[in-house]
Amino acid sequence: MTRTRILRLKINGHEREVAAEPNAILLDVLREGLGLTGTKRGCDMGTCGCCNVLLDGRPVNSCLVLAWDCEDREITTIEGLLPEDPGALHPLQEAWAETGGSQCGFCSPGFIVTAEALLREDPEPTETRVREALSGNLCRCTGYKKIVEAVLKAARSGRGVEVGS
Amino acid sequence: MILPAFELHHPTRLPELLELCRTLRAEGRDFDFVAGGTDVLPNYKNRLNPKGDLISLARLEGFDEIETNRIGARARIADLATSSVLGEHWPGLVEAARSIASPTLRNLGTVGGNLCLDTRCHYFNQSEFWRRSKGYCLKADGEDCLVVPQKKICYATYSGDLAPVFLVLDAVLDLAGPQGERSMPLREFYAFDGIRRFRKEPDEICLRIRIPKESEGLRTGYRKLRARDVLEYPVMGVAMGLRVAEGAVRDLRVAVTGSEAIPLHYGDLDLGNGIPPGEEGAEAVKRALLEWVKTYRNVPFPPGYRRAMAGEFGRELFMTLVSA
Repeated sequence: MTRTRILRLKINGHEREVAAEPNAILLDVLREGLGLTGTKRGCDMGTCGCCNVLLDGRPVNSCLVLAWDCEDREITTIEGLLPEDPGALHPLQEAWAETGGSQCGFCSPGFIVTAEALLREDPEPTETRVREALSGNLCRCTGYKKIVEAVLKAARSGRGVEVGS
Repeated sequence: MILPAFELHHPTRLPELLELCRTLRAEGRDFDFVAGGTDVLPNYKNRLNPKGDLISLARLEGFDEIETNRIGARARIADLATSSVLGEHWPGLVEAARSIASPTLRNLGTVGGNLCLDTRCHYFNQSEFWRRSKGYCLKADGEDCLVVPQKKICYATYSGDLAPVFLVLDAVLDLAGPQGERSMPLREFYAFDGIRRFRKEPDEICLRIRIPKESEGLRTGYRKLRARDVLEYPVMGVAMGLRVAEGAVRDLRVAVTGSEAIPLHYGDLDLGNGIPPGEEGAEAVKRALLEWVKTYRNVPFPPGYRRAMAGEFGRELFMTLVSA
């Protein structure tokens, strides 16, 4: 018999409670249980990176994480990177807008969350390092050049970790 | 894609886990272990042999150490890929870890999970709809292998990247089950059947893998053929270890993944001692691999090309390691 449990999750610095069945994946709980729809569902198989979130500071594919495994762990979604000032953008989002890193925009949250983890670990990454860190994220519009430029721009400005860290 | 319904268990200590295995088995309930989830959960989403119970290792204490000669089964592949200690001693192991999937998947995937990766096949790794349309295969819901129809064993391809390097290093696996703990050379761990896969019992788990001191000093390397530089499983992977002494290559060890239902160690080839450390030796390694490696038409790239690449990888690795 499948049991539903109330999970207590630490999301974007806040404790949140949500009901989830044993087979619920983190992505479903974020989007449908908590309304955090910034995290996107792409391939649902771990191969596109659209659903990436930070789990204990590391970028992971939330479509392959069981929600029940996430209690007592720190989860950061794209919403958690936003500054408190309404309407303000995260420095990576600003760089994305300035370089044209988004076209349809569906993959952007996954890219930005993954880039944020990189800049926290390495505030001045090389282009090779950026490309390697983002290699699990797929974009079908931009061809990646502008995305890589956006991360390097945010890093050069020294703004990559000002917010949300 | 919604996962099938299952009960999820979270043991925190090994005795609790083993007791849980015993209880589930006594109740006739089939189960799988899940650690990183990067192999089990996509398969479950595709309704590939899902069980009614899943034992999550997410909260199990320990078995995540990374030391020179001892790596916990729960150690993250990302941590292996960035380990300076391992990079210094076993560069081939770090090369293999870095080649696995993507950085984000490596943050989830574990060493034990990679060693116990399910075998892969065109006719197996598909949606339920696809498989129903084509006709189910022996490995899931069907009665015949669609790759080698005359056979009653499964020819799905083993696709883990770490196993061939550990085979070259002559590693030993520590297992635990309701019957107690035991150790087994990795060379004896895999069973040539894409369904059964291992010589461990279903309720045994891998605790750690150990590299014997006798393997120290081996020069190691790993090469991998895949459709893209990231995210892809190996459709041919060659690991090599060797020593150079007194002007000759000695203690040459070669293992291959992405070819048959198990990773194969080619230790019984007559390549062992005194190989000239130049083109002549490299060509001998290549010829041996071309003779030895078998491939089937069940993963991307034609079998002949994959076999040819095994030879090329062997030749190139030999030259690289000799001059390292």
